[in-house]
Amino acid sequence: MQGQAPESPEPQKSAPQNLSYPLESIQGAITPPDRFFVRDHFSEPELSLGSWKLKVEGRVTHPLDLTLADIIERPTTKLEAVLECAGNAAGGSAASNAVWEGVPLAHLLHEAGVASEARSVVLEGADSGRLMPDSPNLPYCQMVPMEKCMRPESMVAFKLNDRFLPRKNGFPARALFPGWYAMDSVKWLQRIIVLGQEDEPPGFQQSGMNKVYNRILEVSPGSRKVTRLSEILVKSAIAWPANDMKLPTARHVIRGFAWTGAGLVRGVEISTDGGNTWAPAKLEFRAKAFSWVRWNYFWNATAGDHVLMSRAVDDAGRQQPIKRDALRKDGYELSFCAPVKCAVR
Amino acid sequence: MTGTMKSLPAILLLSCGLRAADCVPSHLGEKETLARFQELDRAAQAAFDSGQYGPAARQYREAACLVPKSARAFYGLGLAEAAASNFPPARKALETAYALLPDNRMPLAMLVRVNVAMKDIDQVKTVLRTAAERFPGDADLHSGLARFLAENQLLDLALAESLRFEQTGSTDTGSAVALAALENTVGAYGDAIRNATNIEEQADAADSVKASAAGVAGLSYESMGQREEAVRHLKLAIQLAPSQENSYLALAFLYEKGQKFQEAVEVLQQGRSQIPVSPKSGSSNFLLPLGNNLVWAAQYQAGIDVLNQLIREAPDTAEAYVRLAEAYRDTGRPELETQTLRRLSHIHPDYPMVRVLTARAMLTMNPVDYAAVLAELAQAETRTPNDADISYIRGKVFFAMNRYQEAVTALRRAIALGPMDPGPYYQLGLTYRKLGETDLASQTLDRMQHLKPAATTPER
Repeated sequence: MQGQAPESPEPQKSAPQNLSYPLESIQGAITPPDRFFVRDHFSEPELSLGSWKLKVEGRVTHPLDLTLADIIERPTTKLEAVLECAGNAAGGSAASNAVWEGVPLAHLLHEAGVASEARSVVLEGADSGRLMPDSPNLPYCQMVPMEKCMRPESMVAFKLNDRFLPRKNGFPARALFPGWYAMDSVKWLQRIIVLGQEDEPPGFQQSGMNKVYNRILEVSPGSRKVTRLSEILVKSAIAWPANDMKLPTARHVIRGFAWTGAGLVRGVEISTDGGNTWAPAKLEFRAKAFSWVRWNYFWNATAGDHVLMSRAVDDAGRQQPIKRDALRKDGYELSFCAPVKCAVR
Repeated sequence: MTGTMKSLPAILLLSCGLRAADCVPSHLGEKETLARFQELDRAAQAAFDSGQYGPAARQYREAACLVPKSARAFYGLGLAEAAASNFPPARKALETAYALLPDNRMPLAMLVRVNVAMKDIDQVKTVLRTAAERFPGDADLHSGLARFLAENQLLDLALAESLRFEQTGSTDTGSAVALAALENTVGAYGDAIRNATNIEEQADAADSVKASAAGVAGLSYESMGQREEAVRHLKLAIQLAPSQENSYLALAFLYEKGQKFQEAVEVLQQGRSQIPVSPKSGSSNFLLPLGNNLVWAAQYQAGIDVLNQLIREAPDTAEAYVRLAEAYRDTGRPELETQTLRRLSHIHPDYPMVRVLTARAMLTMNPVDYAAVLAELAQAETRTPNDADISYIRGKVFFAMNRYQEAVTALRRAIALGPMDPGPYYQLGLTYRKLGETDLASQTLDRMQHLKPAATTPER
């Protein structure tokens, strides 16, 4: 995700998109491009293939000015990865899983001759606007530590499910940081600026981006600890049945997805009584790093009102919480179990 | 400098073109060497031209041994080895030729072809990057590579080379249309429309090229949901080049998508009248969409005639049988419908649901042969044992045969397999009523009322 769309007094060509689709509509493990969630901050930029360029600059010895042809003709990597909006609701559908293809970011940074003192990069999109009511009109940007940029999974992606990226998903190229919340996977990428420890990230503070996508924990009354969001927390969501659905008494298959930013999903449990008792769901395939796993649970539904819940656990033993941490004072990482109410008759 | 520029000389140093062991030591003087080289070169060229690639390669190799700095000999050797499908030595020879003559684009162009043949995409990319750096302004090179890569379905790389062609500023309209077509394929509709309409407006461009451009613009407008513009451009494409089949097919497809079946029929008939039938390919490209649209436009007899013609010409066309069966069903001829579906299941036994469709068709015959329907369903079940539809139809058959207990069993299985389909609940409710189980009947019909269609619309 790239956060909630701020209100802007500027006239815009098209409104920023905010779309997601019921997880129920996803067959198999891969989200089709027309079902991929979209969260924009600003209007989609009008980009031409012929004139689009990606600059790599800052603390590098050989700044790069790459065309799309240059990107396509570089060695690429392919990876299945889930992207989740940092503000995706518990049980929400602002999460999608796709096969991505692109040039490893580390390859481009090495080619540009990244300096030894480099600590982070700023990724800048071609979309721009006012993030905050009082901030200037600036391109969308995010800052990512060099360590994550150099990971083999991080890339400049130009394909989604073996097709070029749809415009709404960042055509012609976007950053992709598998395992991290989607705000860092900057769409319509146009500039990568390598920064040293003391360098001020251009546009980051001025736009107000430093004030959003933060984890705010009230450690004691009046005292708050603020840290930047990054890794996706372990989470699962029920794709079917939908909330408030009426079902006949029958043997139903509860279906859903589970994912985590670090490690692998080890298991998913289902409760059909609001969290009092839990039973294991079946993972439909072996969990892979960065992607989600589809699960199912055969439920002999008896007449009555039921509250269904799912909870995932990863291979490090991290379990999806039943409730939101009361100390959290922000609207992100909503990874707690979402109740799904069903009336069975 | 990038890795690209470094990589080929590095490979060359490692390979050195030919190993010393490949060459017989020569004791000829300078003049004799030159004469022998020219003789070998001529002979190799003649062998190559007459399709004797092995001998050609041997002679070029000997020539290269005599004059190890001859790019011509290594290039010829590369061509001959490639033509003989000996790709690794072809690649080695061409890399040597390029290293000897780095200002010549031909070894690189040929290296792309050899690496594609070897399915070595990393090497293809390496050579393409070298070509881009060495010959950034060579429009012919980049458009030629784009064409070749597109023919080999390497559409990403074809697009990259087309974009490099565009950057040369060339005005070659054929290559510009190819770029627009690729842009349309990869979803860059705005770029495709801009490039295509530019060509459409060029007074000196050939009509066939302008027609192709109009076709691309039409398809891109359609993808952007601008159907009127799409239709306008495709009509222009037909007007500019009435013998281009694709324009008719694309326009008809647009009409079909918009459920304007009569318009689709008219376009396809216009196409058939304009384009002579080739004895080799027949007229099947028009026949299927024409047959489909005639049936959907309720011109059943004309549709049946066209589809029967298609089945005679191309009996493997599964969709023709399905549509023909639909035409027979819509005109109340279940025997012919059943017969058509049986032919389909004979030709394509794995066609999805063909036996279920046949069973359904048999149920509309008068009188119904219930035993035959049950046999058909049993056949269907061997292929898809967990198909809820099979149990549902079986339940209906048992119901019609007054075999209510068996109907209950079948319908309960249908519900177990597909609990969200209301049909089996309704049928089961009726069956319970027949059995005098009124409580069960009302419970079952109540359960049906609880079913709600799945949401598929986007959430905002």
